[in-house]
Amino acid sequence: MFRIDPITRRKLQRFRSLKRGYGSFLVLCGLLLMSAFAELLVSSRALIVKYRGHYYFPTYAAFHPGTDFGEDYSYETNYRKLKVRFAAEARGDWVLLPPVPYDPYENSFEEGVYPPTPPSLAQRHFLGTDTTGRDVLARLFYGFRTAMIFSLLFLVLVYVVGIAIGCAMGYFGGAFDLIMQRAIEIWSNIPFLYIVIIVASIVTPNFLLLLGIVVLFSWTDMTYYMRTAAYREKARDYVAAARVLGAGSGRIIFHHIMPNILSLTVTFMPFTVSGAITLLTALDFLGFGLPPPTPSWGELLEQGTANLNAPWIVSSAFFALVIVLSLVTFIGEAIREAFDPKKFSIYQ
Amino acid sequence: MNHFIRFPSSLLALLAFVLVSGCAKKEAAVARDIGPEAEAYFKAHADFFRFATPTDLPNGLVWHDGSDVPEFSAPEAKRGGTAFSWILDFPRTLRFAGPDANGSFRTFILDDNALILIQKQPNTGQYYPALAKAWAYGSDGKTMYFKLDPDARYSDGVPVKADDYFFAFFFFRSRYITDPWSNNYYTEYFTNLTKYDDYTISATWREPRPDLEDRLGSLYPVPEHFYKELGDDYVQRYQWKLEPTTGPYTVKPEDLHKGSFVDLTRVPDWWAGDKPFYRHRYNFDRIHLQVIRDVDKAFEAFKRGDLDMFGLSLPKYWYDKLPDNDPLVQKGYIHKTVFYNQIPVSTYGFYLNTAMPLLDNHDVREGIAYASNFDLVDHQYFRGDFVRMQTGSDGYAEVPFPGIHPRPYSIDKALEHFAKAGFTQRGSDGILVDEKGQRLSFTVTTGDPSMRDVLTILRQEAAKAGLELNIEILDETTADKKINEKHHQIAFTGFGTSVPIERYPRYWDFYDSSNANKPQTNNLTNTADPATDKLIAVYDKAQSMDEIRRLAQQLEQRVYDNAAFIPAFKMPFYRSGFWRWIKWPKDFNVRFSDGAGQYGLEWIDEAAKKETLDARNNGQAFPPEIKVYDQWKPKGE
Repeated sequence: MFRIDPITRRKLQRFRSLKRGYGSFLVLCGLLLMSAFAELLVSSRALIVKYRGHYYFPTYAAFHPGTDFGEDYSYETNYRKLKVRFAAEARGDWVLLPPVPYDPYENSFEEGVYPPTPPSLAQRHFLGTDTTGRDVLARLFYGFRTAMIFSLLFLVLVYVVGIAIGCAMGYFGGAFDLIMQRAIEIWSNIPFLYIVIIVASIVTPNFLLLLGIVVLFSWTDMTYYMRTAAYREKARDYVAAARVLGAGSGRIIFHHIMPNILSLTVTFMPFTVSGAITLLTALDFLGFGLPPPTPSWGELLEQGTANLNAPWIVSSAFFALVIVLSLVTFIGEAIREAFDPKKFSIYQ
Repeated sequence: MNHFIRFPSSLLALLAFVLVSGCAKKEAAVARDIGPEAEAYFKAHADFFRFATPTDLPNGLVWHDGSDVPEFSAPEAKRGGTAFSWILDFPRTLRFAGPDANGSFRTFILDDNALILIQKQPNTGQYYPALAKAWAYGSDGKTMYFKLDPDARYSDGVPVKADDYFFAFFFFRSRYITDPWSNNYYTEYFTNLTKYDDYTISATWREPRPDLEDRLGSLYPVPEHFYKELGDDYVQRYQWKLEPTTGPYTVKPEDLHKGSFVDLTRVPDWWAGDKPFYRHRYNFDRIHLQVIRDVDKAFEAFKRGDLDMFGLSLPKYWYDKLPDNDPLVQKGYIHKTVFYNQIPVSTYGFYLNTAMPLLDNHDVREGIAYASNFDLVDHQYFRGDFVRMQTGSDGYAEVPFPGIHPRPYSIDKALEHFAKAGFTQRGSDGILVDEKGQRLSFTVTTGDPSMRDVLTILRQEAAKAGLELNIEILDETTADKKINEKHHQIAFTGFGTSVPIERYPRYWDFYDSSNANKPQTNNLTNTADPATDKLIAVYDKAQSMDEIRRLAQQLEQRVYDNAAFIPAFKMPFYRSGFWRWIKWPKDFNVRFSDGAGQYGLEWIDEAAKKETLDARNNGQAFPPEIKVYDQWKPKGE
C-alpha cells in the first residue's frame, strides 16, 4: 500500500548505520523470535520421546498421560523422571528434553529442600526457583513473552485509535475538534491507576480485559500529536489537489495525510512499548495485574523484594527488566536520530 | 456476624429517651449529667433491671471463690522496668465502643487489661476471682450471682460497685455509642440483671448453657462518673479519653504522642496487684509502644535491640531472617522459643458452595477433597510448621474429635469419585470432561493475597487429578461480599475464634439450613440438611458438657460426610524471639494463650540488660537458648 519513498529509505539506512540502536533492534528481534518458540526451549514437555520404537513429539501435541509411556499415573507425564527411568532401563528408549526442562507453572518440590532454592546447574534451575519451587528462568522467559505480546498489542490498539481520532480532529477541525479536545481533556483526567485498581478488585482481570482497560485510558496522548500534524498537512497543496479530484474525507485522511505523518509515530513507538512493559510490570507488582499463576515480571519482582534473602529472584527480574528496557530505549533513540527532520527536511 | 440494631421494645422508654435527651440538649452548655436518663431507663425496663435486697438472694447458694485453683505466674518475677514494644499503626481511638473501637489497640487497653467478673485459669480452665471475689450458680442453669470485691478500684481511685454493671447495660444498649453489635448483644442475650446490695449482683442469660461463666462472668463494669457527659457527641467527645480501668495499665494523657508512640503506665498501687492470680503478673512499670508501620522494619528494630520481643511464628522470620545460626542467637543475646498452645484454631479451608451446579454432587465434592493436596502445602511450603487441620472444629480442649481425619490427597480416589459423577475422560489439557463436554473446572475465591502461593500449588496438584482450579484473588472487601452473598463456587477463607475462648464449637452459624442460601450468614457451604438441623437444635439446648461432646461427635461426622468443607492447615504453636533480659516462668507460658505476652507473665532483668548490651559491644557471648515447650502438644498430632 505504501511505497517506501526515498526519504524514508534514507532514514532507514541511517538507522541501520547507528550501531547501538540497530544492534539492540536485532537482539530484541532475536529474543522475540526465541520467545515465539519458547515451548521448544523452556518446557517440562520433552521435545522428542522414543518409546518402544515409536517417536513422540509432545511439545505442541495434546497431553500424554503417564500411562502412554508405561508409567502408572494418568496425569501428564513427568518427562524428567521418564528420562531417568529410560536411562536406567537401557532398552534403547530415550527422551530429549528442552535446555530448560521446566514449565513456568509447575512446583518442583524436593524432600527436605524448601523453596526458594538457589541457582543450580545440576538441577537445571539456571536462575534458581521462586517461593513455590517454580523455575525462575521459565517464569522470566514466559513473562517476557506475555509482556511483549501485551505491549505490542497495546501499541497497535493505542495507535489505531489515537491516530484515527487525532487525524479526524485535525482534518475536520472546528466544532468537532473543539468538542473532542474537551472530551479528551476530561477523559485523561480520570486517574487511570485507580480505575485499574478498582476493576481488579472487583473482577480478576484476564489478559484482554487488562489490555482493554489500559488502552481505554492511554489512546489520548497520541491524538495531540496527530491532530497537530493533520492540521499542518491538510493545508498542503496535495490535500487540496486530492479534494479537487473528488476524494472523500476517509480517503484523504487514510490515503493521503496519514502516510505523510506516520513517520512521526515511528519515533514514539519504542517508548510506547517500554511504557507498556513498565505499566504491566507495575500492575503485576502491585497485585492488580494478570491473575496468578500467570508468569509475569511484576510478580517476580514482588516475590523478590519480599524475599531479599533469595537474591536470585529479585536480581533475575531486575536485570531482565533493565536489559529489555535498555534495548527498547536504544532502539527508540536510534529511530529518533534517524528520523530527525533537521537532517532530512527539504526546505523550499 | 449479623447484627442489627434493636431498639428498646417499650414505647415508654423511647419516649423517656426523647424527653430526657431533648431536655439535656438545652442544658448542654451547662454540665451535662446522664444519671437521670439512666435512672429513667432502668425504671422503664423494670423487668430487666431489678433492685432487690440481700434477703431476696435465693437460699442454698453455693459460693465459689477459686481458692482451689492453682496460680500460674512465677513467684520469682521482678516488678519494674520499661518494656519496648511496637504497634503497626497508631490507634484510631481510645474508646471501647463505637466506630473504630474494635482495632488491634483494644487488646492493650481492654481485652488483655481490664478485669471482668471472673476469669478462666488459662491452664486448667477453672475460674478464678477477678472483680467478683465469689460467685454462685442459680438453680435455673442460666443465672449467676456475683459478690464484687470491695477492694476493686478504677484507676482514678473510685470503687467498683453494682451500679456500674447497671450503667454498663444502659451504656452498651444506648444509641449514643453508635455500636450496633453491642446494642444487639446486650439486648438480645441477657434477660435480667439484679442488684442485691452495692456489692452483690446477679445476671441471667436467655437460656441455660454449660459455659455460663464465659458469658455472664465476662461482663465489664462501666464507670458512670466518667460518662457523665454521654450524649450524641460521644464519638468525638470520648475519642481520645481513656475510660478509667480496673486493670493494671492505663494511658496518661501526656503519654499519647499521636502518630508516634503510646506509653502504657502501670496503675500506681493497683488494687489487685498483690492478690492471688494477679501477683507476679503485669510486671513492667511502663510499656512503650512505638509505631512502626512496616513489619520488616520492626523486625530490624528488634534485631538492633530497640524492641524486647518479636513474634517469629512465620517461617520467614524463624528460618530465614533469624535462623538458629544467626550470631545474635548463637551468642545468646536473643533467645528463641516454640510454645505449643491449645486454643480453637481459625478454620482455614475450602468452603464448597453446595448450591452451585456440579458442587451439589456429593461425588464431585468428595473428589475435590481427595484432589486438594494440603499435605504438600503444609509439608513443603510451610516447612511442616503448619499441620493439617483435622476437622472444622480443632482445638477445643474439652471437645476433641479423635476419630475424624480429613481425606488425604489421593489421585486415584479423586478420579474414582469424579468417574462416579460422570467425569471419565481427560481433555487435551488433562482436565476431566463429562459426556456433555463439560469441564471439571471451578473457581476458588479468596480475599487473602498471601494465599496466592498456596493456591498455585493446590492448582497444580489438582490438575493431576483432572480437576481445574482457577484462582480468584480479590480485594478483601469484595471477596467478603462475594462469599457472604454466596456467589462463590469454592471459597478459601477462615473464621477466627473469639475472645474469651469458647469451650465448644458452633454449628448453627455454619451448617443450619436457616442460614443456607441467604446472604450474610456464615453457612458458606449452603448446607441444608434436615437431619443436621435437628441435631443442631438439640445441641444448642444442651446443658451439660457430656451431652455437648456426644452431639458434637455426630455433627462433626455429618460435616465430614457431607464433604463440603475441606480443612486446610493450622499452626499448633506460636514462636517468639526475645532478648535475654526478658525472663519467663519455667513453663514459659500458659495453655490457652495466643501469644507470649497475653497474660503478662514476663518480667525484665535490668542487670541482665546492662550485661547483654555491654557484651554485645565487646563481643562477649552467652550460651544460646532455643527452646521448645511442648507440654500442651496433643498426643499423636
